[in-house]
Amino acid sequence: MGIEARVKPLPGHQISVEQQRLMSVDGLLPSKVMRPEDAGDAAAGLRLCDLGPAAVIVWGGGTQMRLGSVPRRYEIAFSTEGMTRMLEYQPADLTCRVEAGMRLTDLQATLAAQGQRLPLDPPRPERATVGGMVAANANGLGRARYGTVRDWVIGIAVAYPSGKVARAGGKVVKNVAGYDLMKLHIGALGTLGVVAEVNFKVQARPEAQATVLGHFDAALPAIGAATSLARQYLAPSAAIVIDRHVLWACGLTADWRWALALKLEGYGREVDAARDLAVRAVRDAGGRVEGQDIPAAFWDAARDWSAPPDEVVLLRAITPVGKLPAVVAAIPADAQTLSQPASGIVDLRLPAATAATGLKGLRAAAGEEGQVVVLSAPASVKPGLDVWGPPPPGFPIMRALKQALDPNGIVNPGRFVGGI
Amino acid sequence: MEPVKLESLLRQLREVVGERYAFADPYEVRLYQYDASPETALPDIVVIPGTAEEVARVVKLCADAGIPITARSAASSLAGGTVPVERGVVITFARMDQILEIDSDNLRAVVQPGVVNLALSQALKPLGYYYVPDPSSQGACTIGGNVGTNAGGPHTLLYGVTVNHVTGLEVALPSGELVQVGGKKAAEATGYDLAGLLVGSEGTMGIVTRIWVKIQPLPPTQKTLMAVYPDVETASNAVSAIVRTGILPAAIEMMDKLSIQAIEAASHAGYPLDAGAVLLLEVDGIPELAEELGQRMAKVCRENGATEVRVARNEAERQALWKGRKGAFSAMGRLSSDFYVMDGVVPRTKLPDTLARIDAISARTGYRICNVFHAGDGNLHPLVLFDAFKPGQYEAVLRIGDEILKLCADAGGSVTGEHGIGLEKRENIRYVFSDDDLEVMDRIRRVFDPHRLMNPGKVFPSDGLAPSAHETLPGYPRRQAAAIGAGDDLWV
Repeated sequence: MGIEARVKPLPGHQISVEQQRLMSVDGLLPSKVMRPEDAGDAAAGLRLCDLGPAAVIVWGGGTQMRLGSVPRRYEIAFSTEGMTRMLEYQPADLTCRVEAGMRLTDLQATLAAQGQRLPLDPPRPERATVGGMVAANANGLGRARYGTVRDWVIGIAVAYPSGKVARAGGKVVKNVAGYDLMKLHIGALGTLGVVAEVNFKVQARPEAQATVLGHFDAALPAIGAATSLARQYLAPSAAIVIDRHVLWACGLTADWRWALALKLEGYGREVDAARDLAVRAVRDAGGRVEGQDIPAAFWDAARDWSAPPDEVVLLRAITPVGKLPAVVAAIPADAQTLSQPASGIVDLRLPAATAATGLKGLRAAAGEEGQVVVLSAPASVKPGLDVWGPPPPGFPIMRALKQALDPNGIVNPGRFVGGI
Repeated sequence: MEPVKLESLLRQLREVVGERYAFADPYEVRLYQYDASPETALPDIVVIPGTAEEVARVVKLCADAGIPITARSAASSLAGGTVPVERGVVITFARMDQILEIDSDNLRAVVQPGVVNLALSQALKPLGYYYVPDPSSQGACTIGGNVGTNAGGPHTLLYGVTVNHVTGLEVALPSGELVQVGGKKAAEATGYDLAGLLVGSEGTMGIVTRIWVKIQPLPPTQKTLMAVYPDVETASNAVSAIVRTGILPAAIEMMDKLSIQAIEAASHAGYPLDAGAVLLLEVDGIPELAEELGQRMAKVCRENGATEVRVARNEAERQALWKGRKGAFSAMGRLSSDFYVMDGVVPRTKLPDTLARIDAISARTGYRICNVFHAGDGNLHPLVLFDAFKPGQYEAVLRIGDEILKLCADAGGSVTGEHGIGLEKRENIRYVFSDDDLEVMDRIRRVFDPHRLMNPGKVFPSDGLAPSAHETLPGYPRRQAAAIGAGDDLWV
């Protein structure tokens, strides 16, 4: 930090040492906090930071703060906790508009009162915010059936370092006016501006739900059963393959080597037919279906498994389905895994000590068409891990987009792909 | 273009694509001056490249020469999206029409931009899959064009529009680079979602040369039913009643009295001529479920004012019902020599009010307006009937269109649901976006296309935009801003 920056007063409010610690990111501490109360407020605040310039890290519920490379700078903690309102909700239109700081469970509760839901299920919804889910592109286990954040966001308001709030999309489910900037901000980790409001389309809650649990001696047959079911019209809404440690973490006590859990949702008749299909698929792949009692919290625990405790390293491999056997073969012996075969995703928890080696092996196995990302790592080991892997094709454009929207590099500097 | 410059560029383009596939003869290029909109403009040169590499070289040659480039395939754009309004070079994809790969393991297909939408679904059908987005022009329009406009169609109600089905693009940029963004994987690739951004950018950022799309299993059965109503308001309320039950059909289409008359005259779909409105509803599912949902919807329709509900008993009857809807635009020829179609969207609950206001506009101006539209998602297609040979009528119709789009925007909707802004609605875009909104979009466009050569004259208002806010933002000088930030308690 240059002399000039040190003597220039920063915007925002002083915080206590304890608050600083709570809002640290990868070991870096903020000096002040900003708590805007609406989109306009957020833009005005960012403008002040831009003039500083002071580096801003955006905070929602804090469930994804260990995602991303170590920040280059961090001065202002920019919290959306003052922006938690549901601005519009018209159940008959199946749409709503909410502020970024709204917690997901609050949103889902409001929708549930009308028999509706947002079929996105990122980890820790009781803490996670709408804005954080959008910025981190945090998805849960329903992605193969219901898609990801990009399939449900129909409009967005973003506060930019220029001091302006700019919108894109709108409030209707079908709309091609202007550029689809929702896509640009989803998964951008707040590096192009602060997502202030999000418009969603929502859906009716399914009439029926069931779970089928199968177990296998090896991972590949379970993965095969999951991918074959994904190609069926009555595909499960979630299909996960887990090892016994994850099974126990999800509240079951059986000593199965590998389990395939299938969540079936839809109209009653559909779920009945899907259950028969699922049981057949498990048996055809050499697995066994048990009449095990499934704890009510099983799916919530499975969803939250991908938001691990601080000391654990969590990796995510994403590959075309055909590459899954190679990735599975490269899973280190000390890893715990939860995979979503239909989406080509394998999540692994590794001890910090062996993370770097594991990451290298998995990247080699995933090949050029795949990728392995560090979703979470303690500050002590993160600097030694290449969090995002090599920059993707089109990276020069990504860097130019960052330059165009955040010329002074003040929002989340250094946390994104290729040092963006 | 100056004759010397044109000659030189043409020569260079022919070196890339071959003698036959680049031409500037005024007679030959006339075919490329129009699309399905009323606007026309002549290109200077037309190029028909055969490969992605050729597209990239063509784009680079044009960009280096400062010549505008407009991509075009089937040219079924209703918004003037492919009309080369600033002349220059038109690139067309007649030779790039191959399905490159069908990968059922990953539920993906890889296609060239010139593949006709319906051709992909036909190729997938024997394998038990299909490509969901189904614009009414799907027998002619191409996937490349669908990507450009983020096209929709009746069945996007349940399954989403083009962008929800595209996972990767290969794109030729003005710099001459050929870049692949996204690919076969689920759309959670690292980096910004450039594929998502490019879909619907109407050719203003780059030219798509290859497309990765999702495919999905064909529904085992589809149950289609027609419900007849005395008027559009009752029919609109029935749509809301169905949505309230928690059933989300795969498609809900509505046709008003005038449309029904045109359609029956043209294709004998079996819609009753005395009806005030007809709803076409379709559910997908396993046979026993489709049957059940069909009955449940029929009941809701009857309870909400339907005078008749007819369920298609077989595929032939289903196709007959759809034939009327899909051929609705061409059937308008039975009523009028010309029509002007709009693409407004309103929240579903605003349908009755919006339709009543459109009716009032028709009564006030004396122009007949048909309504045939995607009722499930509130996407209206009002068709204003007129005679282009009568002086003043076209201008009057444009004013009516403008008024209707303003109406949609004011109801919380949009000025385009699936046709795109194109040339036609570049001024209307201000009804939904502020200068600040447009300024950010323009800034993003310039990252891809700094010299405004990619399909210029589209999407953005013709009067240009205020200079970049970062350069000229009024307000606090730096010193003052820092002082404000340090002092008060704005942020607590």
